Amino acid sequence: MVSEKITVKNPSGLHLRPAGILSNIASKCVSDVTLVKGDKRVNPKSVLILMAAGIKCGDEITVECSGESEAEDLKTIIDAIASGLGE
Amino acid sequence: MKRIEVSKTSSKGIVMGKVFLAEEQDLSPEERVIEAGQADTETAAYEHAVEEVIADLEPLAEKSDIFAGHLELAKDIALKEGVLNRIQTQACCAQKALHETAEEFRMIFEMMEDEYMRERAADIQDIRNRLMRKLKGIGDGDFDSITEQVILVAKDLAPSDTAKLNLEYILGFITELGGVTSHVSIMARGMGIPALVGVEGVMSEVCPGDFVIMDASVGVIIVNPEPEVIEEYKKKVEEFDRYQKELEESSSLPTVTVDGRKLEVCGNVGSLEDVKNAVKYQIDGIGLFRSEFLYMESDHFPTEEEQFDVYRQAAELLGERELTIRTLDIGGDKGLDYFEFPKEENPFLGYRAIRIGLDQKEILKTQLRALLRAGTYGHIRIMFPMIISIEEVVEAYAVLEECKDELHKEGIPFQEEIEAGVMIETPAAVMMAEELAEKVDFFSIGTNDLTQYFLAVDRGNQKIAAMYNSYHPAVLRAIYKTIQAGHKYNRKVGMCGEFASDIKAVKMLLGMGLDEFSVSPQEAAGVKYQIRNASCEQAQKLAEEVMKQPVIDSVMRLLEESV
Repeated sequence: MVSEKITVKNPSGLHLRPAGILSNIASKCVSDVTLVKGDKRVNPKSVLILMAAGIKCGDEITVECSGESEAEDLKTIIDAIASGLGE
Repeated sequence: MKRIEVSKTSSKGIVMGKVFLAEEQDLSPEERVIEAGQADTETAAYEHAVEEVIADLEPLAEKSDIFAGHLELAKDIALKEGVLNRIQTQACCAQKALHETAEEFRMIFEMMEDEYMRERAADIQDIRNRLMRKLKGIGDGDFDSITEQVILVAKDLAPSDTAKLNLEYILGFITELGGVTSHVSIMARGMGIPALVGVEGVMSEVCPGDFVIMDASVGVIIVNPEPEVIEEYKKKVEEFDRYQKELEESSSLPTVTVDGRKLEVCGNVGSLEDVKNAVKYQIDGIGLFRSEFLYMESDHFPTEEEQFDVYRQAAELLGERELTIRTLDIGGDKGLDYFEFPKEENPFLGYRAIRIGLDQKEILKTQLRALLRAGTYGHIRIMFPMIISIEEVVEAYAVLEECKDELHKEGIPFQEEIEAGVMIETPAAVMMAEELAEKVDFFSIGTNDLTQYFLAVDRGNQKIAAMYNSYHPAVLRAIYKTIQAGHKYNRKVGMCGEFASDIKAVKMLLGMGLDEFSVSPQEAAGVKYQIRNASCEQAQKLAEEVMKQPVIDSVMRLLEESV
């Protein structure tokens, strides 16, 4: 398993649009992806679950990938969050 | 044949045509326990429903972020897993599994702290309903299926509903809920489409495809009329059209009473587009430009340049005619996507209009600077809404002076002599009208809010809708007092509420001394016609008589005799 921390910069946090974009990207990953915020662990492949996690602007989250292509997937997801998810 | 009498007509005209019933659909799930071996059929049914919904949403998602979000929800794997899991392990049918899964998510979102997230519960509900309709095999009830001219009958129409309508196909609107100041009413008047609102029980009185005559001039609906009645109404339609034509022809003549008093009939507008439309009607100016739409249609506070651009173009379209622009009137029932208003117990008595402007002066200053600059391109008047005190006027004028100083120092051209006035729409402003008149350049009476605040009657509440009546002697006396106070200091007094276009009220208002009637541009010709056929002297006598009446009934009797 590989993991990396990142801070969410989207002004309104992971609301519907950015969460939608992130879940689309996560769905294409072959490895199992998990976002960790505090004691919450969520599967970002679902936009509903992602939104329900209530990730806000400025929150530091950990992205974990495990399985085939985990290193590649981790980079894809970290890059997407860093780029602001379309915002 | 069936006749339904309606007391509230919100946009006039006579039309006949087929009914399109925007039916309320039963979207509750069926209670069915599935047998072993049926799980696969239910799973397939659900997966098929998802595919259909995705196919429906894809073209919509390209044009709108809202639908793009809905599309994500439709594709969501957690939703799908939740449903399929229930089908396979709890012997739920697809409908029940969908219902329970969606409810679970809806509850999670409804309990979240963040306002935005709580509102997403409605999106989940929307997607649930789309899927449920597919599972139940019922049409999506939206208006895409209207392909010929119809009279639309609905329980109520929200802005999101009317935005989806192809108005070319809509002959008229009939709704069970809503009042004359509701969204549908205002939109219908704007488009010149007849509308009858607050028609209780109409949904069960008509069937889809029924032929209906709706006469919104007197307030009558006739369902499946006899051929003779249709013939009779065809003549009425002709007559109505002839009267409309007569109005149009006389509308280019000046607004002068038979005994020579000159008045102004102006238009109420909400956007630059509206101004372009309004100048096609023969109006003497714009008595109310609702600047809030500029803010509501944007995704950020419009900048000084953005506002300047709109005001300048509007001023140029009107030339020498006055253009009265109301400063941001937000709060109450009008919010902004990019500005969070505090949750309030009583939003209409809360943080709104000038109260926000004086609290967050930067917002007000941006707008005032844009108005001052655009003032050099025409005859702009600035109007402050919701005033309750002299202090507010003094403060607002101080901000205006500050803006002038700044522009002066920056060497930017602006209108030094710009007129600034106030809306009279609170009981406090009426009581202080004389002192206010001394301070400001003009008054405009906003009868919609004035009536609501004077009578303490919520104008959106159906249950007490009958009590919301601008003919209440208390409201009429407030109007009269305001006009007299304004005239004491030679201030022009206008009116920009619905009341100004009420044909029964025009003569009385004229008699009270009102200088300017500001109405929907479509109504301008009718008001002008009334004024051109009235005598000031008689109107004054009528107003004096009306002022003595203690009850609405006797007021109405006098006014009806006078028309």
